[in-house]
Amino acid sequence: DKEKKKKESIFDLSKYIDKMIRVKFQGGREASGVLKGFDPLLNLVLDGTIEYMRDPDDQLKLTEDTRQLGLVVCRGTSVVLICPQDGMEAIPNPFIQQQDG
Amino acid sequence: LVDKCIGSRIHIVMKTDKEIVGTLLGFDDFVNMVLEDVTEFEITPEGRRITKLDQILLNGNNITMLIPGGEGPEV
Repeated sequence: DKEKKKKESIFDLSKYIDKMIRVKFQGGREASGVLKGFDPLLNLVLDGTIEYMRDPDDQLKLTEDTRQLGLVVCRGTSVVLICPQDGMEAIPNPFIQQQDG
Repeated sequence: LVDKCIGSRIHIVMKTDKEIVGTLLGFDDFVNMVLEDVTEFEITPEGRRITKLDQILLNGNNITMLIPGGEGPEV
């Protein structure tokens, strides 16, 4: 039995280096910033970070309650979503289904 | 990046609306952190909580962001 011991990312974050991304955290926080670095555990380094807080007012809309944070490290353990600020980007389907002949 | 902060002020944001500002003494693989001269802030009530001196061990499970040189919501 071959076990894959390599830590393979299913998603290549190096595409986002030096780009603005939006990150959502457990607990409802959101932040945007330029991705400066990351590791296989999904810890991120963002620069020029703006943090958005959710209020009872806020629900799904981003409030004006923002803070400029500059350079921050985001814990991978609490990241739930990462997306480009630009919009979505299509990637090749990594889950290729094999069809029975 | 984090170990460049050892010895300087760091501002830790938790998953909840709580922040901790202190001097970073060290951390481990799980990013549990040891801080000194710590002030604890609660975001919503806009009040400053307890100022704790000595040292604290902060459980890395709840840490969301680490901001070097941050001072927190102190205005």
